[in-house]
Amino acid sequence: MRMDTVIMGGGLSGLVCGIALAKRGQRVAIVTTGQSTLLFNGGSMELLGCVDGKAVTSPVDAVAALPEEHPYRKIGAERIADLAGQAKSLLSDAGIQMEGTATANHWRVTPMGVAKPAWLTLKSHLRIDDLDKLPCKRLALMCVKGFFDEPNGMLANGLREMGFDVEMIEFTTDDITALRRSPSEMRASSLAKHLLSNSSLQRVADEINRHAGNADVVLLPNVLADEDSYETLQSMVNKPLRQVATLPPAVAGNRMQSLLRHYFQMLGGTYLMGDTAVGGTLDGARLVSITTAKLGDMPLKADEFVLATGSFISRGLVADYERVYEPILDLDVDADADREQWTRFGILEPQAYSRYGVKTDGDLRCIKQGKTIHNLRAIGSVLSGHDAIKMGDGTGVSLLTALAATQSILEK
Amino acid sequence: MWPELISFATLNALFMVTNEVYSTEYDVIIIGGGATGAGTARDCALRGLKVLLVERNDYSTGATGRNHGLMHSGARYAVTDGESASECISENMILRRIARHCVEETDGLFITLPEDDLGYQRTFVEACQRAGIRADVIDPAEARVLEPAVNPELTGAVRIPDASIDPFRLTVANLLDARLHGAETLNYHEVEGMIINQNRVEGVKLLNKRNGEHVEVRGHVVVNACGIWGQRIAEMAGVKISMFPARGALLIFGHRVNNMVINRCRKPANADILVPDDTVCVIGTTSDRIPIETVDDMRVTREEVDVLLREGVKIAPSLATTRIIRAYAGVRPLVASDDDPSGRSISRGIVCLDHAQRDGLEGLITITGGKMMTYRLMGEIATNAVCAKLGNTAPCVTATQPLPGSEEDAPSQSDMTKRYSFGQRAAIGRHGSLAARIEKDNDIDNALVCECEGVTVGEIKYAVNQLHVHNLVNLRRRTRVGMGTCQGKLCSCRAASLLGELNHDVRGAQEDLAAFLDERWKGMRPVAWGDTLREAQLTAAIYEGLCGLDMAVDRTGKEDVQ
Repeated sequence: MRMDTVIMGGGLSGLVCGIALAKRGQRVAIVTTGQSTLLFNGGSMELLGCVDGKAVTSPVDAVAALPEEHPYRKIGAERIADLAGQAKSLLSDAGIQMEGTATANHWRVTPMGVAKPAWLTLKSHLRIDDLDKLPCKRLALMCVKGFFDEPNGMLANGLREMGFDVEMIEFTTDDITALRRSPSEMRASSLAKHLLSNSSLQRVADEINRHAGNADVVLLPNVLADEDSYETLQSMVNKPLRQVATLPPAVAGNRMQSLLRHYFQMLGGTYLMGDTAVGGTLDGARLVSITTAKLGDMPLKADEFVLATGSFISRGLVADYERVYEPILDLDVDADADREQWTRFGILEPQAYSRYGVKTDGDLRCIKQGKTIHNLRAIGSVLSGHDAIKMGDGTGVSLLTALAATQSILEK
Repeated sequence: MWPELISFATLNALFMVTNEVYSTEYDVIIIGGGATGAGTARDCALRGLKVLLVERNDYSTGATGRNHGLMHSGARYAVTDGESASECISENMILRRIARHCVEETDGLFITLPEDDLGYQRTFVEACQRAGIRADVIDPAEARVLEPAVNPELTGAVRIPDASIDPFRLTVANLLDARLHGAETLNYHEVEGMIINQNRVEGVKLLNKRNGEHVEVRGHVVVNACGIWGQRIAEMAGVKISMFPARGALLIFGHRVNNMVINRCRKPANADILVPDDTVCVIGTTSDRIPIETVDDMRVTREEVDVLLREGVKIAPSLATTRIIRAYAGVRPLVASDDDPSGRSISRGIVCLDHAQRDGLEGLITITGGKMMTYRLMGEIATNAVCAKLGNTAPCVTATQPLPGSEEDAPSQSDMTKRYSFGQRAAIGRHGSLAARIEKDNDIDNALVCECEGVTVGEIKYAVNQLHVHNLVNLRRRTRVGMGTCQGKLCSCRAASLLGELNHDVRGAQEDLAAFLDERWKGMRPVAWGDTLREAQLTAAIYEGLCGLDMAVDRTGKEDVQ
């Protein structure tokens, strides 16, 4: 099988890269286990949330002050605004309607009631532009009876500290009550599956309309499967309705993953799901082909390759007893040699490992034993030099490096 | 249909937590809420004494909660310490009866590897027989059938009656029974000083760590059952005990590799016991003398991890590829013999000191040395000493009277599967017949909070209302929430949220959650590579990335919760 580009990894960055290339007529294959960290995404994208522990107001302005090894600096600070715009419209093309701008962060509200800076947030989700000028005052927080993956008390408390009046309303419907009989079924994803039909949604709407009379805005945990369900329920409810992220599995993140995948496939992309790249053949400074676990002795050949395998969570990086390494090609990584340095004592402190990743040159090209591989680029969380947790730049790096790599590939 | 033993009315009266109402005078005040203190409190209460037990942290935070969870047959000590071996086998047989719900009867193997001297096996078996421990030499091939995880290169095997025991559950059962018989027990109460009057200890000065209050309570006898921290307590009374802290580190693996306890058949050395505990298994221990000043620093070092892994893989090769979920360490309270001030002659056996005879100080008894395994016997010995002082002649019944939770025969496995949900079965496993008290009448109470360990909403309510649970760390010790393979990834948030509701303190619940994650991390960090590092990153993605917990709380300069 010969492709123009083969992408290793089918999460956010791999899919966006694949979509952008396929749109320009490339033959693209994505090799993926099928798992994605979008499963932990509560419905927002972050470009740059925090620098030196302080919330960033304008990501575009703050990029210039980042250290040189940060992926945004490699892409070029001046390109960030443009790439961010492209990313937003690509997401929209895929059916993911988000609001926000790269020049001014807004606030998303987390399941624990914390306001975190965000760049884009789904239209169906709660979003606050300015904490000093709240868009409304009275919130009705609809709490699904027996659903413990939304810490409602913490959420309500956080919203009250922001200045909202919050009324917590516990409710259930026949569908939810039936689901609750199985003790392990009360997860957001199962609820979403059982709240699809108009009649199920109508029963939820009835509860909302019965109890949320005083509210300006009604909040519901993110248990609605997709935009259609949301629109349907919104049409049945006489107040503005917004969802709030839950603990994983996150319905919104899951939905984004499947929309991107469908879009990629619709554009003619090949999505090799349930497979994983295990090695590759180099010819001097070029990668000729990669081998996968399932295709065995039938290597995947391409002109260009993209590594989008993610960080430790996704096994794009592996740490063993002795070292941190990149498991497919043993590419050079930026990581401390001494195991003691990988982590710190407090779990909420910044951890060194979260900045680890593969080394790249200015064009995001990977390096092995000091030598650049000219047709292999790394994108997303497998890159070193950024910190998704403490800097709030994970999804932004995934999206923007994917588009930057796409441009490099197409310009060749 | 549940094994009902005591009526709910009685229970509610007994377990309504009526803390912090201190009586003015007790027959006996026991310091230390580990297995030994709890066992002593139970024994004293059963003999009719008015008992107060105080613990500075949570129950079983010291050596009790920091060992293998091995119910020794005594075989390990047979060659080197016949007296300890005899004590172990005798207590082993007693605990199988009185603490059935804390024990899993796994049996054990002592294996000889090619690098070991097979000749030692004979010495070992003879010593076991002398101590009264059943020891059957079996063919290595049979050992491999019995325990497929064992190193296939073994050259010899002996089967002995080791078992696995849950020390947390055991301690709680003792405390519950002590309370059922009138004892008062207070956790988070630290002894700040002794009340001494003319060569007689008359009570203790306490700090209530939850509200900062200082209290004085009086007792005719004070029992120092603080393990390694007993030296400090003795100093407060102006007497000297020379303790020799021996630190042992252990590793917990992510699933249960072995079904039998596996020991090395050689002189006791580092990392030579692998114990199956519930859903996981534990290798240990190292053994290092440490300065007494460092006994509160329980962080496991890189060197300890290296030794444990190197040796553990020899016992069960599959450990090399099994995820390690935690490293932890405990300190054995070894005591220097009184007739040897140099400290060279150290006893591993039980040491009971009557400070009246030893130091001319009335009213103080120290019970130390020993092992978790012999906690009951230590309690009996200490209680005998207390009773002798008080002129109480009631006999000890702890060797025959079952602990709460072990009174009746448990339903058979097939019965259990038919009658109870996963969560209910797990709860019966943890709480024995006390599981009857867990609310289970509606689908909310049956909802699972912790999928790995099968902890339900009802069980958490039960623990909060009746088992002295104030935070997530307490809850983990009582129910195992967050102790399974996921190490509290989602269940800790669900549980924190529930605790916040039950205690009406949401902000506190967030602080508590952060402290709990930190405490879990303390055990993960020494082994943070492979899947453990992945789990750490996943936890960060959920709690920091998705939830922003790090922005909701400030952990700088916070003390560890225990």
